[in-house]
Amino acid sequence: MQNLFDLALTVNGIRYEHTVEPRTLLSDFLRHDLGLTGTHVGCEHGVCGACTVLLDGQPVRSCLLFAIQTHGHEVTTIEGLGTIDNLSPIQEAFQDAHGLQCGFCTPGILTTVKSFLEQNPNPSEDEIREAVSGNLCRCTGYQHIVDAVKLAAEKMRA
Amino acid sequence: MTKKFIGKRIKRNEDPQLLTGQAQFVDDVEIPGMLHAAFLRSDYAHARLLSIDVSNARQRPGVVAVFTAEDMGDDWQPGPPLVSPPPTAKDVIFYSRRQVPLVKDKVRHAGEAIAVVIAESRYIAEDAVEDILVELEPLQAVVDLEKAMEVGSPLVHDDLESNLAAHLFQNKGDYEEAKSKADLVIKRRIVLDRGAAAAMENRGIVAHWEEKSQHLTIWDTTQAPIPIRNGTAARLGLSEHQVRVIAPFIGGGFGPKMMMFYAEELVIPWASKKLSRPIKWIEDRRENFYATTQERGQIHDVEIALSKDGHILGLKDVFLHDTGAYDPYGLTIPLNTQCHAMGGYDVKNFATEVSVVFTNKTLVTPVRGAGRPQGIFIIERLLDIASKELGIDRVEIRKRNLIPLDAFPYEHKIIDQAFAPLILDSGNYWPVMEKALEMIGYDKFIKDEQPRLRKEGKYVGIGFAPFIESTGVGPYEGARVTVEASGKISVATGIGTQGQGHFTSFAQIVAEQLGVEVDDVRIVTGDTTEFHWGTGTFASRGAVVAGNAIHAASTIVRKKILELASKVLETPVDELELEDGLARVADIPNKSISLGELAILANPLRGAVEPGTEPGLEATAYFGPKYGATAFGTHAMILEVDPETMMIKIKRYVTVEDCGTVLNPLILEGQIHGGVSMGIGNAYYEQLHFNENGQLLNASFADYLIPSATEMPRIEVGHIETRSSLNELGTKGVGEAGTIPVPALFAQAIENALYNQELEILEMPLSPNRLFELLSEEKSR
Amino acid sequence: MKIEGEYTFDGPREDVWELVRDPEVLATCLPGTQSLHLVGENEYEGEVNVHIGPIAGVFSGRLLVSNEVPPESCTLTGEGKGKPGFVNGTGNVQLFEQGDNKTLMTYAGEVQIGGRLASVGQRMIDTVSKSMIRQGLGTLNDAIKARVVARTEAKEVEYIPPSETEFAAAVAKDVAGGLLSSKLLPWLVVAVIAVILVIVWLNVR
Repeated sequence: MQNLFDLALTVNGIRYEHTVEPRTLLSDFLRHDLGLTGTHVGCEHGVCGACTVLLDGQPVRSCLLFAIQTHGHEVTTIEGLGTIDNLSPIQEAFQDAHGLQCGFCTPGILTTVKSFLEQNPNPSEDEIREAVSGNLCRCTGYQHIVDAVKLAAEKMRA
Repeated sequence: MTKKFIGKRIKRNEDPQLLTGQAQFVDDVEIPGMLHAAFLRSDYAHARLLSIDVSNARQRPGVVAVFTAEDMGDDWQPGPPLVSPPPTAKDVIFYSRRQVPLVKDKVRHAGEAIAVVIAESRYIAEDAVEDILVELEPLQAVVDLEKAMEVGSPLVHDDLESNLAAHLFQNKGDYEEAKSKADLVIKRRIVLDRGAAAAMENRGIVAHWEEKSQHLTIWDTTQAPIPIRNGTAARLGLSEHQVRVIAPFIGGGFGPKMMMFYAEELVIPWASKKLSRPIKWIEDRRENFYATTQERGQIHDVEIALSKDGHILGLKDVFLHDTGAYDPYGLTIPLNTQCHAMGGYDVKNFATEVSVVFTNKTLVTPVRGAGRPQGIFIIERLLDIASKELGIDRVEIRKRNLIPLDAFPYEHKIIDQAFAPLILDSGNYWPVMEKALEMIGYDKFIKDEQPRLRKEGKYVGIGFAPFIESTGVGPYEGARVTVEASGKISVATGIGTQGQGHFTSFAQIVAEQLGVEVDDVRIVTGDTTEFHWGTGTFASRGAVVAGNAIHAASTIVRKKILELASKVLETPVDELELEDGLARVADIPNKSISLGELAILANPLRGAVEPGTEPGLEATAYFGPKYGATAFGTHAMILEVDPETMMIKIKRYVTVEDCGTVLNPLILEGQIHGGVSMGIGNAYYEQLHFNENGQLLNASFADYLIPSATEMPRIEVGHIETRSSLNELGTKGVGEAGTIPVPALFAQAIENALYNQELEILEMPLSPNRLFELLSEEKSR
Repeated sequence: MKIEGEYTFDGPREDVWELVRDPEVLATCLPGTQSLHLVGENEYEGEVNVHIGPIAGVFSGRLLVSNEVPPESCTLTGEGKGKPGFVNGTGNVQLFEQGDNKTLMTYAGEVQIGGRLASVGQRMIDTVSKSMIRQGLGTLNDAIKARVVARTEAKEVEYIPPSETEFAAAVAKDVAGGLLSSKLLPWLVVAVIAVILVIVWLNVR
């Protein structure tokens, strides 16, 4: 019999209480226990960044965290950024600038960018590239992603 | 006047779902009672399977079943041959050996699946995999292509006499004769090595056999749902209509997801039927490096014969092609290499011979570029060497050899990957090349900037590479276009998506024909219940083949709409127009009827449908091109090399593309940017390193380096449009264009940057380490 | 991959030779060794818990001693496999009297690595294997010193082998030291975290 843990956390503003195995990864917990499948798993070794979520506002790799490490904390996933009928400025900007193709890396990029723009509302191109250098994308070549972040920054400053 | 949508930069229909995490990928599928699979894979690249003991695994709580090859009994069959050898080529030798569901006698590559555990969770399944006791007798691995062909080499397939998988000789004209007349013959050995597609989404499959309805539903990260449906039905003894394959949103494909009937695709549906339970298998990244197909390993001995004014008299290429442990995909990649080794040049004599070799490494099937980059690398390198030896400017030597405008359609007479004689249908090559050189400021850079930078001690080089790309091959695709009672249009087509914007570019085609808004067109792809005739999305053919099928179906629906509206509005068809979702009289705008109302009228509740007509405003059409359209492009780049670290900084990157009619420039740019990023990875950062035991030494993103945002330059995209005569839309494909010239481009640019070294780059991929080695070797010579 | 090096023991050659051939002592030199038995005249079988960076698991294997010229030299041939992958290797060991109760050991060999260890552990293998060898030989040296002291003072041998935790920490320290000189910061973090997690797990067990 394994030690189960009574986990309580807030995700996108909603409080959840679940009993989990200590070894359950945060990415698996979000995707399969909570059904929030917007966070994607690309490598499970912390390099690609597709699994990035915000833990108390800071970007973290959910594939490198155990769910129980978020006990008592606030997690924001892509589902917390906006909805199909109510896209956030960042999401709008990505659509306008064609900042995604297959969309698999996109959730990780959007959460990273959200946190980045909060700290740097008027970034240069180099700063943007540096900020998303931990998010691998195989489809876009990053150019439209950079354009989208610039556009998002504009929208948010307006 | 119907609004024009083709050629417009329209935002994508599919984005809101993808941007909010509401798009379904295979791993998002959850079915009550779903079980999870994990595979036991071989650590050895070549080994005899002596015994497996799964009893401990079966006993672990939460484990529902463990299957080995033996457990599959008569259902154990290797996968089907996917591409046969070309029936149109002469004297082809081809030994078909396909991948197996689970290892039965011998392991042939590291990562090959030996057993599968089905359990209540992936975590338990992986634990149980470690309970399995397997005895493998390691054998010497076959890794090096040339050693593999030596007499006495261990055999990957014991029933064959050697590791030769296939052999094909193709000939155009008479090379030996051309050579005898040449003023210069250049011979070189060119070596190319493997890279991975490394899509961000790993592979996965969910299979759900429902015993009560005798129906199998499969969600699969495949680029080809229809063939998967047909093949799976055949293998399981089911009717095709008992099987539904859904390729939902796919997180990047790039070729390996076109490979069909991977071991997991053979095993999981079978296991689901056996257990009558839904089963999910999702690949992890390490498995992806070992068990998902790869490409690019070849060794070439090439020769080019030229006249002293730089005209190519003939070309000869004898090469080995690494196919890995099995060869389900036939000769597709080497045929592409053969067909691109002449580039876009007027080469009248070409002799090319390929020996395909089995090795104890992961299977080789097309990865974006699919053998074309290798061909282009060869011809561009040879021309660079010829340019030096003949003292002819490297732009000039190419200009002299490019196929001229009046020579199209240009017949090469060798067989291509679609088994048809290679014909370059149309193109206007020199202006494309000229434009690229102009955009990057080639002349000015060479004359003014480069000398200045060199005086400053900087190593900055400029390179360019023209290339052709065969695209838009058959066999065919189909589509069904329907006007719904709401006035919205629904479209179904068989090919899936890899993220290239089909939901939008296809909608643009329909919107233009039917006069509706792009976001009023709903495209359904990749669901065999919606549409079950077609092949898949690969080989830069989606827009061309499916696009044209959609266009054809739309024009039929347009005709139906106009005919019905003509009756209803009592006006001749040629006085009507379709706009804003209405059919209206051109000069009397308020005499109109909406498409929705017409759709309702076309589906009468009372009265009969006239004989020879169909209810509704719907049409299904198919398109199969006579042969593939050939696109042309040129890339140019300025890069700086740090002479101490050998790290590079790309200062400028220019592409000019001629892919015929452009459907959506925004999406086109995205395809080119993405292709270039893979090309840059192929050229300078990525290489799969197998050691002499067939062990892959860099099976993670920490060690297999794909470009990140800080490695990628801004890419300037220029465009020229030469309509293709092979289809109504005039389009050519462009999906792989970005990758094709990049290795050749890098070689030229780096040599140009390191101008004071006698450097001749005849291999790809390069890397900072490798460049350093090459320079050291050069110095010690 | 090649493994070679040398080590100077604080004891006479005969002692070194004897202890090297004593499975109980050998087992303690490589903490993580769960069992090590002499199963034939020159053959050992055993199980070792291995932690290299993010790779952890039990290796079971055999070690064969051949070409014995006591107390000068021998050849060791080993093969092990387990969840982390497989390891096969052959090495030659030579012992030279240095006078002053010191013995110089030189070793040279080839090791083949496969499986998970090879595919994601490449950058760790070199540093970690060197460190493990150094730690192991250091422990063996402690055993030799204890024996020499005991003989000199006619006492019981006092020798406490390091715990798995201490061993893992020592290896992690070496690895961190080695890694800081290259641009492998993320791996450093992963490695150190992994080793610390191992330490925690071992202590909890």
